[in-house]
Order: sequence, then structure tokens, then C-alpha cells
Amino acid sequence: MSFGSSYLTLPDFEYVKPKSLQEALQFIDQHKDEAEILAGGVGLFAFMKERLVEPRWVVDIKAIKELQTLRDDGSKGLSIGAAVNMNQLLDFAPIKDKYKALHDCISLLSDPLLRNRSTIIGDICEALPYVDGPTPLLIFDTEVEAASVKGTRRIPMNEFIRGVAENALEPNELAAAIHLKPPPENSKSLFLKHTSSSEFSIVNVAALCANPSRPEARTMKFAYGAIGPIPKRVHEVDGIFKRKAPVPRLIDEAIDSIKKSAEPMTDVLAKAEYRSHMLEVLAVRAFRRLLGS
Amino acid sequence: MKVNEVDRKVTIKDNELLLDVIRDKVGVKSVKASCWRGECGICTVLLDGKPVKSCLVLAVEAEGRDVKTAEALAPEGQLSPLQKIFVEKGAMQCGFCTPSFVLTAHYLLSVNPDPTESEIRDYLSGHICRCGTYKQIIEAILEYAKQNKQGKQAGR
Repeated sequence: MSFGSSYLTLPDFEYVKPKSLQEALQFIDQHKDEAEILAGGVGLFAFMKERLVEPRWVVDIKAIKELQTLRDDGSKGLSIGAAVNMNQLLDFAPIKDKYKALHDCISLLSDPLLRNRSTIIGDICEALPYVDGPTPLLIFDTEVEAASVKGTRRIPMNEFIRGVAENALEPNELAAAIHLKPPPENSKSLFLKHTSSSEFSIVNVAALCANPSRPEARTMKFAYGAIGPIPKRVHEVDGIFKRKAPVPRLIDEAIDSIKKSAEPMTDVLAKAEYRSHMLEVLAVRAFRRLLGS
Repeated sequence: MKVNEVDRKVTIKDNELLLDVIRDKVGVKSVKASCWRGECGICTVLLDGKPVKSCLVLAVEAEGRDVKTAEALAPEGQLSPLQKIFVEKGAMQCGFCTPSFVLTAHYLLSVNPDPTESEIRDYLSGHICRCGTYKQIIEAILEYAKQNKQGKQAGR
């Protein structure tokens, strides 16, 4: 059936389904920008239906064993392969137990049916401002493993997103996995977001706090996204909470440095002023929850 | 691909969607088409047992795999116990979205036989019923879970 509208159908392309990572890397090395990677397809097919992306080749990576990694190595951290879908992440106990900000984030993404297809690596590669995945990954000091025929390199999450729909991958590279550093002992993390009526995020925040009740040992990590093209980790916040001072004062100081670092944008979803205000609201909420005040 | 337990051989192009192939080449019409962009859930099928939105799946991805639609829930001409409760509770108005809700509800109940109301709401959040019969749909699923639990207890 066709109603003649472009968004009902996909443009012509050829489908390839490599069986090994090597085979996939050779293919994208040969075809570069003419090949698009298919993991979950939730973003890719939407863009293709709108004719914003018209690849000659669609490379389905779901059959590649090496990309199905989902492993918690305790003190070494957590590794997630490019073919692992969101529901697999939600069902993986170590993520719920130790990487709660990531679990919170995924459980709020789209809906349970789409999560049977969508992937966290697809989310970050899309690199659109309203994408939520990068923000929790920033507080776990995540690195993206970029693979090509020449080998692999690791790109820190805070250097991975370069602009709207722009990531740090070369045309012959594939984001094969992400690696999260384990949170410190005795820590808690969370993720919060505020969405427009169309359910796109206009602000999101993630925070991780170790030793919340012991000021001398307390540490905080904070990141935000969706308020501008690039999600950010605010390093100035790290040390602020490691002091014996009334918590509300520390929160005020942290909010000051967060707002200084932020460059909120105005777009079709929200005005800059509103984003700035909601960033403050969510950050205060996150700090209060983590500090139990 | 196997559709509702029957092996089906169809010739497709690489860019065809599973939704179109199921409807137009396999001829299963309980899978509906509406938004075509993964928002409404009306094109839901079970792919290897898991619910997915077939407007965002390539038909070629389903090669050699198992696809189930609402037709697989009960023998032809009969209703599954959950479908019967949907009818009893009036969990539909126009009925257009009903096969998709029933399919996802079946999956939910198979992994979580006694869901809370909020779990049901969360799990059905990718489905839209334009007539707004959500209340009755949720009641039907709760009723099924209740009857199922009582049945199990009585059987012991």
C-alpha cells in the first residue's frame, strides 16, 4: 500500500548483514559515507522515511557476536556492545544496582516496544540535542570504542558529540562498544529530565554522589544535556560538595557554576530562558535527593 | 519467515517494511498501519516472541525468524481467554487498535502474570487508542490476571 507520501516508505538501498566485526569494518572502510549502520533502526528509519538520509547500503550489525557484549567486570567497569538493545540493559542486574542513573534514563526512553530494538550506542551516535543517553554516560566517565580496519581507539564521551547530529567518528569507523567506569563505593546516582509535550527532552541532568553523609569524603559528579547541541559534564561541581558547610549553601554554589557553564539554546521545543530555569530546578532536585536533604 | 506457525515464502525488496509485507504479501490484516513512525504501536507484531513495531523493522530482518500476530493467540474462530475478557469489559470502541493491545498484553502477562496497574500503564505506553478506551483495557488485563491467579489457586 502506498499513499504517495514519502514518510511511509524507505528509499531504495541494499541490505547487508555481516557475520563478523572484521567483515563489517571492511565493508564500511570500502563504502564509508555511502553506508549507514543499522542497529535498532528507530532513528535511522525515521530519517530515511523523511529522506534526510539516503544511504546506498544499510549494514545490519545485529548478527555480529563481538558487538553483543554486555559485561560487568566489577572494578574495571561495564562494557556494552553496539548491538545490545535497551531492554537488555534494563534487565541486566549490575546496571540497576550500580549504574542507576543509566537505568533511570533508559527506563524513561520512548516505550517498552521500541526498547526491544533501540540501542544506547545508536542513541549517542545520533548526537541530537534532545537525545538522553549521553548525559548519564558522562558521569560514569564513559569511553566510546571506535573500531576500524586499522584497529580501535577510545574516545572520551565528553569529546564524542561535536555538534547537532555530529559525532567524532571517522567515516570508516564504527562505535563498537562503550565502557563505563565503575562508580565509587558508597555512592548513589540518578537521572532526571524535563520534556516538551512531544516527549523530547528540553533539559536532562545526571548526578552521582559518593559518601553523601560524610562531607570530608563526599564527591559529586554532574552532567546535563538537551539544553544545547552538546551535553556537558560540569567539572567545577566535583569539589564543591567536599566541604563542611550547610548543604543549601553548597547547592547554591554548584548551581552558580552550572549556570555559568551552560549555553542554553532557543529552538522549536523551548526558549533559552525556560531551559536555563528548568536546568536549575532539576539540578537542585538532583542534589537534594542525593544528599538526602 | 514463519508467520503464525506457518512457513511463508515471499519475495521482497531490501527496503520493504515488515509491516507492508505482513499485510500485503502474507495477507495478515490484523496488523494495522497508522503513524508509520513508531509512535502509535498499532503495527505491533511479536518477532521471536518479543513485541516490536513492524513499521520500523525491515522485512528482510525477519528472514528465517518467527513472527506472530493476534491470529496466533487462539485457533481460528475462537478467542483467547484474554480476548474474551476484552470483549466482556468493552475494552474497545472502534476496535482498530485492539489486536495490537491484545498482543502486547499477552506478552506482558507471559513475563509478568500479575502486573500492577502502573506496570500495565508503563508497558502499554507505546500504544495509542484513539477512542480512549485505556481504562477498560487496563481493567481487562487486571481482570485476566485476577482470574488467572484464582484459577491457579483453585487448581492446587
